[in-house]
Order: sequence, then C-alpha cells, then structure tokens
Amino acid sequence: MIPFHTLSERHLVYAYIAVWLFQFGYIAWLVAQWRKSRG
Amino acid sequence: MPKWALAYFGLTLVVLAYGFYAAMVAPKEATMGNLYRVFFYHLPHTILSFVFPYLNCGASFLYLYWRNRNVERAAAADAFALASAEITVLYASIGLATGMLWGRAAWGIWWAWDARMTTYLLLWLLYVSYLLVRRFSATGQTAVISAVLAIFAAIDVPICFMSIRWWRTQHPSAVFGGGDNSGIDPSMVPAVLWNMLAWAMWGAFLIGMRYAIERRRQRQSNAYALGFLGDEPGLGGAAPSEAR
Repeated sequence: MIPFHTLSERHLVYAYIAVWLFQFGYIAWLVAQWRKSRG
Repeated sequence: MPKWALAYFGLTLVVLAYGFYAAMVAPKEATMGNLYRVFFYHLPHTILSFVFPYLNCGASFLYLYWRNRNVERAAAADAFALASAEITVLYASIGLATGMLWGRAAWGIWWAWDARMTTYLLLWLLYVSYLLVRRFSATGQTAVISAVLAIFAAIDVPICFMSIRWWRTQHPSAVFGGGDNSGIDPSMVPAVLWNMLAWAMWGAFLIGMRYAIERRRQRQSNAYALGFLGDEPGLGGAAPSEAR
C-alpha cells in the first residue's frame, strides 16, 4: 500500500493516474470514432 | 472488430495488469523510495515515443514512393503515417507529463531546459505540428507536405535519444546502454521489461485501430466523391465525418 502523505507519494499516484487518463481517454475517443465511421 | 483483435486486446490488458503488479511489488529504491516507480511507466512511454516516429517516417517514405505509382497503397501508407504520428504524440505527452511529475518531486522543479528535455519537447512539438498540418491544411497537397515534415521530424529522434549520452545536464544518465555506470538492480528489471512489453502491445493495438478508422474514412470520402461524379448514384448525401 502506497501512502499519500508526502509530495513524492502524491506525485507517484498522479503520474500513474495521468498515464491511465491519457491512454484510456484516447482509446475511448478511438472507440467513438470507430462507431461513428461504421455508419 | 475481428475476434483476433479483441483477443489481442484482452491479452494486452492482462500484460498491463501484470506490469502494474510488477511495478508495485518491485523493491523500494534506496535514495528515492517509492517515487522511482514512476520510472516503470515513464521509461516505456519515452522509449516507444522514439520508436513510433520511425513507423511514421517509413510510412511517409512509402507514401511518397507510391503516390504516383499505386494510389491504393499510397492511401494505406498515409493512413498508417497518421496513426503512428498520433500515437507518438500520445506517448510523448505521457513521457513529458510523468517526467515533470517525477522532476518536481525529485529535483524540486517542474522543468529544466537541459539537452534531453529540450530536444524531447521539440520532438513533441514537431509531431503536434504534423497533426495540425494534417488537420488544417487546405492545399490539396496535405499528405505530401505532412510526409516531408515527418521525414524531417524523425531527425530529432536520434538527437533526443543520444542527448543524455552526449551531454551531461540535468536529466539522469541513460539507465540502459549508458556505459559502465548505467543499469538498475536486477530485482527491478522484470518490472521494466513487463511494462515495456505491455505498453508496446497497447501502442500496437492503438496504431492498428487508428489505422483501420482512417482507412474507413478514406473509403467513405472516396465513395462520397464518386457519388458526386455520378459513378455511384445516391452517395452524394452528407459528407463523411472526419476522425482527425
């Protein structure tokens, strides 16, 4: 379990969340485009 | 979407989950503590943002070669160039964001104009400008202009890659292939390799999907144009929506 008390610990969590937000946000946009392009 | 693509995507998610697990159970680093775990996501994204531009560059060369020889192959190469450029921007954006989050915690600063960071920002700007040219150019020669831009942009990749070997500035020296003093503890290597594999598989899936979407859009645009020329009656309706 990673604690969230210090700047280092917070930035570690932010970095992982940022990666998932970028990647899953992009793939969600791709899925929307995929559906749109089918019609 | 084909079943094999869904199976590949499922396998990618499994490898990603294992990569995350490996990153969390790797031993704590002596000086940085848990903060160094940013490295397990930062390194794969940065390395892959040096690989994808070469796919973009290769596809751009093929486009320029085929554009007056084989229109269908040229269109496929152009679609692949666009897909690889977009994923390059995605991975480079993550490389920048994770690097800055790590830098603020480790160095106390978000940014330094050192050799690696400056050349990496240039790389990001080059591929963002590539996408902007593709999106907003109205010359009718967009694919040619962007292909030439892609070839020039790829020149920054080896400079950026070698910058931490040529110039010792703020950014840490190369972890792998950086000489006698480089390398990490063997207990941390599996987490690096699993995450490298996971994000490479993920990137390949994204490129494939983006390529397929762009090919669909090209076919719809062609059908739309043919409809107006009268070759395919009834297709001259609403213009196909653009995915880019």
